[in-house]
Amino acid sequence: MPVVELSYSRLQKLIGKVSKKQISDSLPFLGLDIESEDKDLVRVEYSPNRPDYSTDFGIALGLQGLLGIKTGPIKLNVKKSNKYPISVKSTVSRIRPFVTGIIAKNGKIDDKTIKQLMTMQEDLHFGIGRKRKKSSIGIHDLDKISFPLVYTTTTRSHKFIPLNSEKELSISEILDTTDVGKDYGSLLGQSPQVPIILDAKQNTVSFPPIINASVTTVTTKTKNLFVEVTGLNKDDAEDMLSVVATVLQSAGFTLESVKITGAKNSSPKLEYRKMSVNSSLINQILGLNLTSSKIISSLKKSRLDASSKGTNIVCTIPAYRFDIFGPMDLVEEVALGYGIQNLEPTISPSQTIGQTNSISLKLKSLDQTMIGLGYLEALNSSLTSKRVLYDMTNRDSTKLLSVLDSKSREHTILRDSVLPGLLENLSRNIHESYPQKMFETGTVFATENPISEKISFSGISAHKDANFTEIKSIIQSALNIGFGIKIETKTATNSTFEEGHCASILLNNIPIGIVGKIDSKIIENYKIRVPVVGFEISLTDSILKN
Amino acid sequence: MSQVFHDIEKKIITSLRADLKQSPEMLQNSTGLSLDQIRRGIEWLKLKDLAIVDESSVSILSLGKNGIESLKMNLPERRLLDLLKDGPRKLSDLQKELGTIFGPAMGLCKKNNWIEITDNQISPIFVSADELPGEKTLKQIGTKQIPKSLVDENDLASLLNRPDFIIDTPKKTKEISLTDTAMKIELSNSSDAIDVEAKVPEVFVARTHPLKDTIDEIREIFVTLGFSEILGNMTQSSFWNFDALFTPQDHPARELQDTFYLDRINAKKIGTPEQIKKVSESHKKNWRYQWDINEARKMVLRTHTTCVTIKHLAENKPDEARIFSLGRVFRNEKVSYKHLVEFNQIEGVVVGKDASLKNLMGIQREFYKRIGITKIKFWPTFFPYTEPSLQTMVYNEKLGKWIELFGMGIFRPEVTKPLGITQPVLAWGGGIERIAMLKYDLDDVREFYNNNLGWLRSAKKCQ
Repeated sequence: MPVVELSYSRLQKLIGKVSKKQISDSLPFLGLDIESEDKDLVRVEYSPNRPDYSTDFGIALGLQGLLGIKTGPIKLNVKKSNKYPISVKSTVSRIRPFVTGIIAKNGKIDDKTIKQLMTMQEDLHFGIGRKRKKSSIGIHDLDKISFPLVYTTTTRSHKFIPLNSEKELSISEILDTTDVGKDYGSLLGQSPQVPIILDAKQNTVSFPPIINASVTTVTTKTKNLFVEVTGLNKDDAEDMLSVVATVLQSAGFTLESVKITGAKNSSPKLEYRKMSVNSSLINQILGLNLTSSKIISSLKKSRLDASSKGTNIVCTIPAYRFDIFGPMDLVEEVALGYGIQNLEPTISPSQTIGQTNSISLKLKSLDQTMIGLGYLEALNSSLTSKRVLYDMTNRDSTKLLSVLDSKSREHTILRDSVLPGLLENLSRNIHESYPQKMFETGTVFATENPISEKISFSGISAHKDANFTEIKSIIQSALNIGFGIKIETKTATNSTFEEGHCASILLNNIPIGIVGKIDSKIIENYKIRVPVVGFEISLTDSILKN
Repeated sequence: MSQVFHDIEKKIITSLRADLKQSPEMLQNSTGLSLDQIRRGIEWLKLKDLAIVDESSVSILSLGKNGIESLKMNLPERRLLDLLKDGPRKLSDLQKELGTIFGPAMGLCKKNNWIEITDNQISPIFVSADELPGEKTLKQIGTKQIPKSLVDENDLASLLNRPDFIIDTPKKTKEISLTDTAMKIELSNSSDAIDVEAKVPEVFVARTHPLKDTIDEIREIFVTLGFSEILGNMTQSSFWNFDALFTPQDHPARELQDTFYLDRINAKKIGTPEQIKKVSESHKKNWRYQWDINEARKMVLRTHTTCVTIKHLAENKPDEARIFSLGRVFRNEKVSYKHLVEFNQIEGVVVGKDASLKNLMGIQREFYKRIGITKIKFWPTFFPYTEPSLQTMVYNEKLGKWIELFGMGIFRPEVTKPLGITQPVLAWGGGIERIAMLKYDLDDVREFYNNNLGWLRSAKKCQ
């Protein structure tokens, strides 16, 4: 989850009369996890469904509600204006069809505000923007731009000075040489045309969703902002814009509209939605018995608006709360406004009878039997490596089952056998005293129709006198005492075991596993200095069947 | 109560009472025990503070080449004097008879004025003595090795300067004596008693894996709370792992860097046509994107056990139920002291009309109480498939801070409705390793899967 850094003193200024302790006590009840704290600074993790919490401005609005300082919805005051037209050319419709935007004026932009806005932008790009694919934002210095603007396409040879650069680069050069170009260039596909926002003087404002022009860079001298959002879906673009507009207004800017026309685009509405929820659903889900007025005041603390209509509560939801899908989301808003800490946990007696799964019971009984036989239980990962699974044990790797792009080299292949892991365990414990006797039961995987998962049971014994007879006795007793199963053994050859000391384990003449002395070359591979005997049995089709 | 002593101890104590300081070798002689028994006995007595062992270095003497020759044939001077017993002899004759020792013998006898030389004639002045200097020492040492302290220092001195007579080897020795308590202690007469206080060799218990113990304990708690266990596959289609749980197909959690996808394997059948249709509609309507069935077919290693639960609920549509699912889940993360690619998760759900958030919190509180955690609180949080959602924070005394444990919530209608589940579903779950780490006081989660015998053999069973 994303992290945002806050300053208590800044928050106190934004919220109003509130102590540092009140803030730190309340943050978790807004759904913000405190990650670390250092004097005035606090780092909190926020949920990706609340991008308004990516800035202290947004968090301050939430805290005002929760603490009862200012409740009810945040009303966006957008002054209608015709001074800022953007026309959209139909050529963008196949690449990145929608654009929307807003003007924010007369704000104070200090370093901290710039930092907050940049964090918000990055988080929006990553989260709801899906790494700029669905929607992306550009924030510009309004006074460097001449309206009207046009959102259109251009060729890859189009040149401008991009942000953080001093020289003019072509689109192709930007895509090939800059970090953002390399990271996001693929979003534009192979098309020879790319989207571009140009101003009235034909100057480049932005090359969405990659980079802004250098000329519109926001600095601490900037007074007025132009924000544009482009994207694949009109609603997504406006959702993102609503977050930015709300944050900018609470940062002290006054908002003015831009006028967007052309190619199915239109000016953003940033309107409230209405949604109703039955108060009995709220009370049922929360296990409470709240009056309508208590529900309404709780919703207001969550910075929504509400009124009652019969047993229904009709809610007014600001545009930036697009995380609210339906009635259950409103139930949660009531819970937050009411205060999770005020919900008293209760327990109703169970009307049902609990039951352990029969497979779990059988496996537990097997564990007990093996312990009685003096074997220690080991647990290994089911995701392991080719080295352990095949190379070291001299097993056939043609049917290996691997995962894509593992971050850990030791965890790339799903095991088809438990025994190699146990041998690996022995090799890591050669300094420990012998005898070493271990067992493990675990899931093994095979590429069948499409994947079979079976439970396998393996045991090993390592000490200077380890021999076939010993291990056959163990498996024989374990199955007989554990499950009343009598097995037979029949001479077999297997690359893991020594010839002449290896047998397949038969149950009613059907092979269910293998037992024997581990081949001396494998013992050497693992640098083990004593003989090792072992077995492996598939439990799923023989013992665990009903 | 009088102490019980092993026969070995008794013999050593008795012997040391008579002869206060002895080396182990001397004790061997005086007690008739083997050196090994003496060593063990001394160790036992030392542990009981009854014996004192002084270690020191002493000189051990043995005879060199000339010493051994002199032992066999007598000292050169004695042999010369013997030849002069019957009166003066000619120098040349004596020279012939004594050979190489003639020189040293002459030198010594002359120095001591035992002989007189005139012309070529040697006459005795002093012929017989009981013992010449050095003879006593020669006999005492003989063919043995003996401590220097047993030999007459003056007599030894006469041999020390002579070449190859005496070999002096320094040797570390122990000298055993008794403490005052041991001098007075009463030795019982019973002879078959053993030393029950002595150290014994360590044996290792065969046992279930400590993590498995925690897993079993948690399973047991769920069963006693009225929950029934369901099992499911670790490999799942993306449909059940993600889509059915309302996770959009372009959600960051579904990316390769967070989730393990199986190489080149896609599910043929992912659900009923109705399930697929309704789930995809819910996605299209709420998340506004083109839902792709091929994305839903991709096989993953389950990232939670919730996929097992939701599949079970979709297939059975119970009006009332308490079920749980427990097993391994996978995350494509870098392995570290707090992250594993594969770990165990427990997940429980309550289905029913009476299911409420307060009730969910109550079940949590009861669960934690049973695993011994009483200091808990609930914070709101976010999960894609539950609404409202909470997380449990438990207080870790050792770290002195609140740590996150289980997540919980009520399944969203966007999850349940498309699958035909009509009743509210309370759900919660979390990693078992986290709880086990608290129980076994571990700060590195990898320890559970290292199978380090040193730890497995010594970790205490948790109750």
